[in-house]
Amino acid sequence: MNNKSALLSRRRYLQGTGVALALPWFETFAIGKPNANDTPKRFVSIYHPDGVGLPLKSDPAWKDWSWFPRGGEKDFELTKVLDVLEPLRSEITIYSGLSHPVARKVHGHSNADQYLTGAPIGGHGPYKNTISLDQAYAETIDSLTRHSSLVMSTNGGVGGPRGAQTQSFNREGRPIPAMNKPKQIFDMLFVTTNKDAAARLARSKSALDLLIENTRSLGRELSKRDQETLDQYLYAVRDTELKLVKAQKWIDTPVPKVDTRNLHLEAEPKEARLYFQTMYELIYLAFLSDSTRVATFQLGRENGEGPHDLLSRAVGLGAAHHLTHEVKKPGGWKNLGTYNRYQAEEFGRFIQRLKDTPEPAGKGNMLDNTFAMHGSASSSFHLSRNYPIISAGGKNLGFKNGRYLKFGKGNEDNQAGAGIDTDAGWQGKIEVEELPLSKMFVTILQRLGVETDSFGGYSGTLNM
Amino acid sequence: MNILKITILFALAGSVAIFAADGQVTPVSLEAAREQGRVKSRFLKETKAPVKTNDVIPKADVAYFQKSVMPILKKSCMNCHGPKKSEGRLRIDTLNPDLLAGPDVERWREIYNAVSNSEMPPADEPGYALANNDRASMVDWLSDELNKASLVRRNTKDHSSFRRLTKYEYDYALQDLLGLSYSLANRLPPESVTEDGFKNSSELLQISTMQFEAYRDIALRALKRATVSGDRRPEAVTYQISMRQELEKATAKKDSKEAVKGKKNAKTSKNQQQLLDQQTGESIPFPAVKFAPKPNAVAGQTPDVSPVVLLLPSSSELKLDLDRFLPDEGNMRVRVRVGRSTMNPEEFASLRLMLSAHTSNDANFSQVISQRDIPVAASAENPEFINFDVQLSDIQRNPFRKLTTTFPRRDEFLHIQNISNAFKGGDERLHLVIDYIEISAPYFEQWPPKTHTNVFIESANKGDEQVYGREVLTRFLRNVWRRPATSREVDQFMALFAKYRPGFSTFEDAMVEVLATALATPEFLYLTQRVSNDKSKSATISELELASRLAVFLWSSIPDDELLKLAEQGRLRQPDVLSGQVKRMLADPRSRRFSQNFVEQWLGLDGLNSVTHIPPQLRDSIQEEPIAFFDEVLRQNRSIMDFIHSDYAVVNENLAAHYGLPKIYGPHFRKVPITAQSNRGGILTDAAMLAMNSDGKDSNPLKRGVWMLKRILHDPPPPPPPNVPEVDLTNPEILKMTLKERIVDHRNKAACISCHAKIDPWGIAFENYDALGIFRTSIKNKPVDATSELFNHQTLAGIDGVKRYLLLERQDQFARAMVHKLTAYALGRPLSFGDRADIDNLTAQLRRHDDKLGELIPLIINSNIFNSN
Repeated sequence: MNNKSALLSRRRYLQGTGVALALPWFETFAIGKPNANDTPKRFVSIYHPDGVGLPLKSDPAWKDWSWFPRGGEKDFELTKVLDVLEPLRSEITIYSGLSHPVARKVHGHSNADQYLTGAPIGGHGPYKNTISLDQAYAETIDSLTRHSSLVMSTNGGVGGPRGAQTQSFNREGRPIPAMNKPKQIFDMLFVTTNKDAAARLARSKSALDLLIENTRSLGRELSKRDQETLDQYLYAVRDTELKLVKAQKWIDTPVPKVDTRNLHLEAEPKEARLYFQTMYELIYLAFLSDSTRVATFQLGRENGEGPHDLLSRAVGLGAAHHLTHEVKKPGGWKNLGTYNRYQAEEFGRFIQRLKDTPEPAGKGNMLDNTFAMHGSASSSFHLSRNYPIISAGGKNLGFKNGRYLKFGKGNEDNQAGAGIDTDAGWQGKIEVEELPLSKMFVTILQRLGVETDSFGGYSGTLNM
Repeated sequence: MNILKITILFALAGSVAIFAADGQVTPVSLEAAREQGRVKSRFLKETKAPVKTNDVIPKADVAYFQKSVMPILKKSCMNCHGPKKSEGRLRIDTLNPDLLAGPDVERWREIYNAVSNSEMPPADEPGYALANNDRASMVDWLSDELNKASLVRRNTKDHSSFRRLTKYEYDYALQDLLGLSYSLANRLPPESVTEDGFKNSSELLQISTMQFEAYRDIALRALKRATVSGDRRPEAVTYQISMRQELEKATAKKDSKEAVKGKKNAKTSKNQQQLLDQQTGESIPFPAVKFAPKPNAVAGQTPDVSPVVLLLPSSSELKLDLDRFLPDEGNMRVRVRVGRSTMNPEEFASLRLMLSAHTSNDANFSQVISQRDIPVAASAENPEFINFDVQLSDIQRNPFRKLTTTFPRRDEFLHIQNISNAFKGGDERLHLVIDYIEISAPYFEQWPPKTHTNVFIESANKGDEQVYGREVLTRFLRNVWRRPATSREVDQFMALFAKYRPGFSTFEDAMVEVLATALATPEFLYLTQRVSNDKSKSATISELELASRLAVFLWSSIPDDELLKLAEQGRLRQPDVLSGQVKRMLADPRSRRFSQNFVEQWLGLDGLNSVTHIPPQLRDSIQEEPIAFFDEVLRQNRSIMDFIHSDYAVVNENLAAHYGLPKIYGPHFRKVPITAQSNRGGILTDAAMLAMNSDGKDSNPLKRGVWMLKRILHDPPPPPPPNVPEVDLTNPEILKMTLKERIVDHRNKAACISCHAKIDPWGIAFENYDALGIFRTSIKNKPVDATSELFNHQTLAGIDGVKRYLLLERQDQFARAMVHKLTAYALGRPLSFGDRADIDNLTAQLRRHDDKLGELIPLIINSNIFNSN
């Protein structure tokens, strides 16, 4: 890639010459910090559990209810599952043949945790995750906005290891709790200013003043060379001070006023349509007011009961997870397809809203400056391969839409693992070649302006 | 199969025969090689006292060069390194022979290394061969001049020992300061590693903003754990599981006759844990119930030993469903009263704790929560308590434990595991026998806890926040800064306290925030060395700084009260006091951190994390072996030549089985005698070296060679040039070759030969060891060819050949390498040319002290270099 970072190559050069990595931790990821006045670059990822319908070609349901489109890159044809996105055809891209290699033979119930991280979390035993894509971006634009990211899910909290209820994980691999109550999210974004936070800031400020004074007096007793070493510490203290100033600025800045007409803040998942649209509207308003530029939203947890199971009520169906177990029953593929269609429809509504809104302080519309993903870590039943992913927007970031991109080899018609409703699928041999999803993440990060050439242990980009 | 074996035997016999027919004498034993090699030491020959004083300004001896060295160079070197040809871009005729003032010291140093290691002149150029006395004359002159040049440059050192604490030092410092015995700093990033392999080197220990913020956060959390707020002891959740009561409960439910079974019957069931009444022989399966905490229970009980026990067979576990009552944070004390059913000394059994939960019907998690396995020593007749302490907020908990619904499952399971090597059967079978278990959290041994009174000291002035605050701060700052705090400095922190106080309800809560700020000061995070205004003393560090330097060297931490007191009194440098303190420090368990951290960095044991082929059950033992070996050599004051070869190994049962050493039982490391047939001894054949320098499937001679040069001989090869051609594994011709043939093929490329000729032979000599360090005599049905030839045409015949060659010819180089590595570690900075004379001096002293590792530590501590700024 042309935009491969000069810094990274310098690091590599230094390593090669044996000078070893002499650059401070973390900041290596975030050199060339973006400016608050630049047109915002936004990222949002929607995750849905349970995968999608993948009938065999020989199945009569295949024609209408197979999730993946038919045809080629430009002339693809959407089935009934995704035809709701037809009006947005030129704004979306659909992907096949991508997955995280380490999860391909792990039960799908465990894998929501690793969709945005690519970590080798496995199915049992000790558990360790790594930073998620959204947070890898968020930490590079931290403090440009009031909130570094907006993390939401229908079930809320963090869930459990291999049963995540959040899509976001920090640099240490710890889950970031997701918010699930529209009222709380709205209050956090547009109502409260935190008194405690102000007091904490004031304390930090005094502590830093003392540390600077203390460091200066130590410096006077050191040799010149040692003073230079100490300067690095002083720099870290000053930088922390600057962050406090920025944080203070947000406390002093009134929260934005937004149009609340489309919000139903008391909605719960069982009122699926209202709840769903309200959550999307909150992301939209957070973006519009530039309260944050990063959001994730997980529709429930993998496996079983919980609030998200009620979302399928929107289309008159019950128990979303169960739909995947009943695909072989009469109308089964259609039911699952109908539910997936509903998810696509709501995503489409959100995309349309971004598209219809001019960028408040920049070029084009909001969608052009937003990369939006929608996907799952399973395709067929419990099968963590060939993730069904749709993306939208990002024109000004370098994304070209209106395409169906097939990656990998040997599964051009998406029949690998199709038609299964038993665990023979995920336990079975991997017969086709897929590309690491992390390569797509590298491309996304680079187009968002993050200087990196690897993610989740994989380097290199995806030709997209 | 038989035919194959015979062929190999023939091949082996053949090579020995050829060897003998070549006119070579039978190689000397390794013990004799060590004796003979020692006699050759240049360091031992030096009769004159090493140049030491700082006041005499040394002068270059150019006259001797012109008279005696130049003629040798002309005869043996200049045809290839002169006006006609300049091999290796070296022209000796243009080098300035004044090493003190001239610019060519680096070149002369290379010449010194090549000539003293007999790498030059090349052995295949007999016309240029150096007579022994010519070589000695040249090496002696170069050695003297390099030494003088180093002394001259000593005062213009390139590196400083001023640095921040490493992650692990910071962690230990915080633990020792606050009296907490578990890791607190896991969230700090790992350290970068120097080319030398060190993590504690001043050149790389940088600090970033996020790191600074992490320090502040870690400090506050650590202080909040060490101290308590308010006067009331928090209510604890306590489970008390008495096997007698469990049996009573269970039998009360059923018809008791149904539960009665024979004793024998119970012991033969391996997976079903049994409750057994040893008096009646009555036994039933341990009930699968949810346990609930006992209201108002007082933790720390010692009920009478009961005849009703739980039998825990080897390699099994007791899984206790603790439901969802464990608190979110605090110390969980797990007490298990346990004994062994048999006392066979060859059998061992330890307890380990695990916590698990089911997060969905097809996923769960589990993790070991005990820091280490604790061996059970008591007998079943006189069982004893084993205590575990677990920080509940540090472990993975079941996040669903607070749900109001029942799916996902809210329970947390505590597993008590019997980790054992028990091998006897029948009545002699080793079980663990448990009669009482108590689980309590938060658990305090005393109230208020010692860690609290350590910070918030007892004082008559407790009622006066201003006076008492100063007392707390004065004491705390002195320990944090490793020097007395001035009254003005205490004022500063009291001023901060005054600002904080209104925001908090108690004195302690506000003070903890102030103390956390002290833990973010550079004088805690850094090892300081102040510049004295007194010019005559400027080169020497103060006694307080010496105390810190000692503590970080031998304890990877900060000094304790005794060291600080002696330094404050100005007595630490008194020779008997200092040597007494060094002895005390090495006898303290904290000195184990020195063995661990030094060896890990010296040998690069992190490399074990970059390979994936090591079986998990061997992983820890493999990592531990070289550390245990070093510790043995240090504690028993043995010769560092034992690292090259020893007639003993330091192993545990796990590794002994891996190496095929019979009859070694138990998880602890100990010294055992070995024979030549075991193909072990020293550290070069440790599974750690051999496994981490493998490519995951097979040995990697290149990695092993580089490792030898870098870690053992301190003669690192230059980094590979850019655009090195990759070995083309798609080429069928290359695929057909053996590894050694591939290496030879690669080496023959012009761009590669000069470096590889230096590296590969060292690695090829290890070919008898596979990727896990197992000794082998054939690879893919071909006999192993572990014979190689060094650049100087020395033949290295397998590992024995390497050891023999090192002991005969390279003792000085290894001793110097060892001194270099230990000194660099002790100083926490890279060594440079200006340190050369000090290192040579230390090496000479070490060799005179019979290479004893236990002597080297005080030698370094007393050296000029260790006491200089």
